[in-house]
Amino acid sequence: MFAAMSGVVIEARDLGKDYGRVKALDGVTLEVSPGTIGLLGPNGAGKTTFMKCLLQLIPFNRGSATLLGRDVGREGREIRRRVGYTPEQDGHIPGMVGCEYVTYCAQLCGLPFSAARQRAHEMLDFVGMGQERYRKIETYSTGMKQRLKLAQAIVHDPAIVFLDEPTNGLDPRGQVQMLELVQSLWRDHGITVVLSSHLLHDVDRICEQIVIIARGQVLVHDRLEALKARRPGSAEVVLASRQADLVQACGRRQWPAELLPNGHVRVEHRAADLNPLLRLLHEMDLSPIEIIPSPNALEELFVQALETAHAPA
Amino acid sequence: MPLHDTRYQHWDGAHLGIWRRRATIARNALKGCWQNKWTRYVVSVCWTLSLTQAMVLFLIGQLLVKDSSLYDWVDQLHPQMQALVRSFVAWLEVNPKISVGVTQSLLFSVFGWPLRILTLVAIALAIPHLVTRDLGSQAITIYAAKALTRMDYILGKLGGLLGLMALTWLGPLLAAWFVGNLLGPSWHFFWHSRAALGAVLLYVGPAMVFLGLLALGISAISAQEKATVSIWIGLWLLGNSLVPIARETRAWLKYASLTFDLDQISLAIFDPVAHIRVAQENVPLVGMLLQDLPARKLAVWAHPELAGALIGLGIMLAAALFILYLRIKPE
Repeated sequence: MFAAMSGVVIEARDLGKDYGRVKALDGVTLEVSPGTIGLLGPNGAGKTTFMKCLLQLIPFNRGSATLLGRDVGREGREIRRRVGYTPEQDGHIPGMVGCEYVTYCAQLCGLPFSAARQRAHEMLDFVGMGQERYRKIETYSTGMKQRLKLAQAIVHDPAIVFLDEPTNGLDPRGQVQMLELVQSLWRDHGITVVLSSHLLHDVDRICEQIVIIARGQVLVHDRLEALKARRPGSAEVVLASRQADLVQACGRRQWPAELLPNGHVRVEHRAADLNPLLRLLHEMDLSPIEIIPSPNALEELFVQALETAHAPA
Repeated sequence: MPLHDTRYQHWDGAHLGIWRRRATIARNALKGCWQNKWTRYVVSVCWTLSLTQAMVLFLIGQLLVKDSSLYDWVDQLHPQMQALVRSFVAWLEVNPKISVGVTQSLLFSVFGWPLRILTLVAIALAIPHLVTRDLGSQAITIYAAKALTRMDYILGKLGGLLGLMALTWLGPLLAAWFVGNLLGPSWHFFWHSRAALGAVLLYVGPAMVFLGLLALGISAISAQEKATVSIWIGLWLLGNSLVPIARETRAWLKYASLTFDLDQISLAIFDPVAHIRVAQENVPLVGMLLQDLPARKLAVWAHPELAGALIGLGIMLAAALFILYLRIKPE
């Protein structure tokens, strides 16, 4: 039985990977519990390398790692039987139609043909693909290809799935649908999701845990809520009118506030919760349409982490 | 609206073993090859040759049937040809143990040659479906992310190619042997031809594995289909052209030809010269007809250059395995 439920799904100890003189991974050490994990970092930070090392797609040079309680260096095949992966690039087999491709991927994971075919259709339904599953993959749009990639990654019912930039090339509506699908994997079905992305909004929307990687090192690893709590409290208040009054009232309380171009009022109330801000709004007899707590916390954390990493010692 | 539950459902069935997963890759590779109509044409020609060989065996068998209508046709032949046929039949009747084996071994040599050429053509058509397309489309990463190792992938692809070669080479030869002897006048023909069958298995089996690994290596050289097909055809045809050049320059150059090397191994296993001599001794007219064969040619056939051929093939195989080691990985 895999250790997925025991509390740690990914464990890395001083993991290192070099490409010549470049250290793609430089002593990565972390323990990750089940859930939705956002792997953040700028391009070339080492996110994809970290995932590929865990999947044994590339060998690492130093350290050790376990995935689902199994040794990555020695039990690659057994690990990958319980792991799904969507690479950033397409990776489809030319000449195949969609359902044939997903069936084939299920068979490669050890499902008998009849079960593989049934699961393929179930997963294609799950990712929202209709009759286009009977078309050749070469004719698919980017959105369809992304859905197909997700279907092949989960067709064998993995315990953990690694998604590398799954919303790349999707239109806004497609991005929302894809993120909802990904979110439901953990929330409704207990499949741990590791989402690698440089799009902070994607990660902020669905991930509970955040790992920020830069220059091959883990800069931050914590729950998103805890990370946001570290930041001085801020919120965006959406009002129908009297935005200027709110800005002035905040100024009187020494809370930096500004009116944003979209009409929202951004307030740094510096409290752990929204109660002081709600009291102020009550005193002013203002009824907000919406209050967005810590709207840019992840972005600020990300920038701060990168600045810390780049600062001279 | 879907007729079934479209929500995600877990699966807890038993997983298949690794050999079944390798067989899945092999089946898919063979299916990819079969989708090419030219491959289907080549396979058709191979089985036509097989049918021809079986018919020849059937006709030889019919010569042993006393009241066969075949003799009506033989009686209409030139007197010298009639004499040849009758002395051949006499040999078959007097010494079937040797005559059946020798005859079938010579037939395997004759029909095996065009079948090998057609197999090389089929491989040229199959090369893009092996590794090249997986490299070009990055599907190699998908394979690597599944419950498979690099060895599983290679064995699976090799299995697909062996399946194709079984359709173009080994299968037609075995079918011809089986059908030809099944239609023969005696069940003993199966037993008397066992040595010829053994030679086929001893030669064609390892040759198929060698050609399969060599083709996989060439298929992995590039992600461009035209490039890998050109390299295969180049290795085959340019290698052939080196043989006459080697006679005038450096003798070892001929071992760079894979067909020359395979020919040497074939000659060593089938030993056609020994069989021709046995036929000459037992059927005097055969001896008279074959006495015009150039002595130099017979000498070359009688002394195949086995060591050099094995070294040549070994170097090609090592190069193919090295290419596979370098190229079969996700990035």
